[in-house]
Amino acid sequence: MSDTEATRYHLPTGAAGLLTDGDMGGLRPVVTLAEAVPFTVLDCFDQSLREAGLLLFAARDRLDLLLPDGRDLSQTGAAGFVGDLPEGPVRDVLAGIVSPLRHLLPVGSGELREGTLALLDDEGKTQARALLHLFAGTGGADVLLATPRGLRGYDAALIRLRERLIACGGAAVEGDALYRALFPDFPLYTNKPALRIAPDETAFQTARAIIASLIPVLRANEPGIIADLDTEFLHDYRVALRKIRSVLSLFRGVFDPDQTMRLKTRVSALMTPTGRLRDLDVYLLEREQIEDLLPEGLSGGLDAMFDLFAAERATAQARLAKHLQSGRYAREIEALRKIFSGGKALRRGAHADIPSHDLACKLIWKRYRKICRMASDIGPDTADTEIHQLRIHCKKLRYLMEFFGPAFPADAFAPLLKSLKKLQDSLGLFNDYSVQQASLRAFVSDLGDHQPHGIAIAQSVGALIAVLHRRQIEERDRIIGSFETFSSPQVRRAFHDLFHREDAPS
Amino acid sequence: MKIIACYSNKGGVGKTATSVNLAYALAARGKRVLLCDLDPQGASGFYFRVKPSKKLTEADFFEDVEKFTKAIRGSDYDNLDILPANMTFRDFDVFLSRMRNSRSRLKKALKAVKGDYDVIVLDCPPNISTLSENVFRAADAVLVPVIPTTLSQRTFEQLLDFFHDHDLPVKKLHGFFSMVQGVKTLHGETMEALRSAHPKRFLTAQVPFASDIERMGVHRAPVMATAPGSAASHAYQALCDEFMARVEE
Ligand SMILES: Nc1ncnc2c1ncn2[C@@H]1O[C@H](COP(=O)(O)OP(=O)(O)OP(=O)(O)O)[C@@H](O)[C@H]1O
Ligand SMILES: [Mg+2]
Repeated sequence: MSDTEATRYHLPTGAAGLLTDGDMGGLRPVVTLAEAVPFTVLDCFDQSLREAGLLLFAARDRLDLLLPDGRDLSQTGAAGFVGDLPEGPVRDVLAGIVSPLRHLLPVGSGELREGTLALLDDEGKTQARALLHLFAGTGGADVLLATPRGLRGYDAALIRLRERLIACGGAAVEGDALYRALFPDFPLYTNKPALRIAPDETAFQTARAIIASLIPVLRANEPGIIADLDTEFLHDYRVALRKIRSVLSLFRGVFDPDQTMRLKTRVSALMTPTGRLRDLDVYLLEREQIEDLLPEGLSGGLDAMFDLFAAERATAQARLAKHLQSGRYAREIEALRKIFSGGKALRRGAHADIPSHDLACKLIWKRYRKICRMASDIGPDTADTEIHQLRIHCKKLRYLMEFFGPAFPADAFAPLLKSLKKLQDSLGLFNDYSVQQASLRAFVSDLGDHQPHGIAIAQSVGALIAVLHRRQIEERDRIIGSFETFSSPQVRRAFHDLFHREDAPS
Repeated sequence: MKIIACYSNKGGVGKTATSVNLAYALAARGKRVLLCDLDPQGASGFYFRVKPSKKLTEADFFEDVEKFTKAIRGSDYDNLDILPANMTFRDFDVFLSRMRNSRSRLKKALKAVKGDYDVIVLDCPPNISTLSENVFRAADAVLVPVIPTTLSQRTFEQLLDFFHDHDLPVKKLHGFFSMVQGVKTLHGETMEALRSAHPKRFLTAQVPFASDIERMGVHRAPVMATAPGSAASHAYQALCDEFMARVEE
């Protein structure tokens, strides 16, 4: 965006005085600034707002949202889940950007003075103005933000105003520049660290680098799990662990086999204490959906069931928090970090020196062909266990494609990943339905006779299982359809061209 | 979209003061408002410090929608634009019918610049006899300030007659008492008489005679903007609320 058309300008704070320096073609610049009020910038942990170039802050018991297109929205509200905010324009925009599962958290605070720069004509009429935000005391640079607001019929004045802003050192605000200027020390976080894979990189280097990039993701999520801010911290933590485990098993022969085995066990040991809490999170998150599945008369037992889940969740959360704060955990995670930090502790396997790109082609092509072979056999009579197997293969393929993505041209790669994702969505639902049925059965049989609402719960759960079963069967038909696309000649050709070049070792 | 005409066949009754504050109150409520200053003196434009723009010639008006929309000026207040006094009356009913027709080039031009309006307020000059019938037809409602004097009673009834004679729906007429002076018993008696003669035609809200309103000429801004807590502002707010409830019903 060129400076003359910018939606917002970022000025050095000293510029506030210069803005009103001298007339501008018969227009008189006037700045008004309100008293300073405290403000706190908010974002969710994965920084979706920063990534989208938005700035959300709480001040004067309201939430203000500055959008990159120059709009400023405001409504009542405070930090929390977006879904819990009162209806309003800020909530509407946030809902499209922030996951409903994520809690809005403070990024940092300071003092804010709001105001305007107005250009007045000889009648005292405002012909153009800029809204001013003077942010200070955040620990970063003080920032003066000017957002031009033209008035209809006064285009020339708006041009003058922009000229003045630029003359005072104003530059177009791009992306998250504001955020970074205000909070330069704020650690940028992403749960999907972007890696670059150099053309001559070896499989050993790539595998090590992937794991090394995932360990900080684990660490970054620990405080949120301990403080129980939202359920996504644990989710991201587990996904990162699972990816680490997949690297260990998918890059077979890249690390020393004995060491790989031991590392896998250690990673699994980190995963184990998180399982029950995640299961309970999932049940509780799906509460509304599950309740919608049952007719009024049959849902009576569900409240009692969810109460039990909620109570158990509190215990499970406390236990996991304690574990994550233990010295043993700290030592273990630090030991793992050291192993992958590039020293000698990580030992090479037979395939350590294969070029990453070649290994990627080989593994992806093999996995894809296997999936196609299995998929060609599925039909109405296929056992659930086979679909389950397929799901696991697809998941591994997905990880491979994500790990190695940077080694391939994005435009050819993205559509393949997309068709895989679609298939995985169906498989995921199918699996959820089957896992839910199994765990509900287990839940009922564990209830015991002394449970006061036992009969009501058993009735509700029985009805629920029946509904889930029906859904599972429906999803199965959809899976067969998705596989047809995924193994179609076009997709096959695309996989072939990208991953099975004639010169590559097969 | 609603078209509201502030009209009286009598001069100096508070039409402009009302138009200006009504437009301001509606905009503050979030409605996108265009205030059309039909007074060649540019009275409402004066209150918003908008200089009268170059007069649009008839040819411009018919040929060049763009030139027309360019005559519109943003006021100092959000959602409130002014069309300064620059039209001949003859053009004006063409303008109104085009605003009504969603497929007209005028409407399309406004939409294209995100300048379509929820409410158009017309500040009419007195004695627009040649035009008045067209304005009355185009408007969804006609807001009539009435100073409670015997003479005003006659004027209001002439207006009613005009509506009857021209087969215009009398329902569109909404009278209210303007510049009311509580100390004058004559005011009280006239208001009572008029209300009982035309129970449905008068709003309950009334605007007192207030120096804050007179001073609008000094501040050159709506009294609701400069003295939001004043009795005059409350009166205009109540007028706006009651009137719009009727119009939107
Ligand atoms: N409620 C009021 N109290 C005191 N003064 C008022 C009030 N309303 C209007 N005025 C003043 O009376 C004068 C005439 O008001 P205004 O211009 O609004 O009337 P008008 O009907 O638009 O006049 P015209 O017929 O000339 O267009 C103005 O000086 C205005 O400030
Ligand atoms: Mg007037």
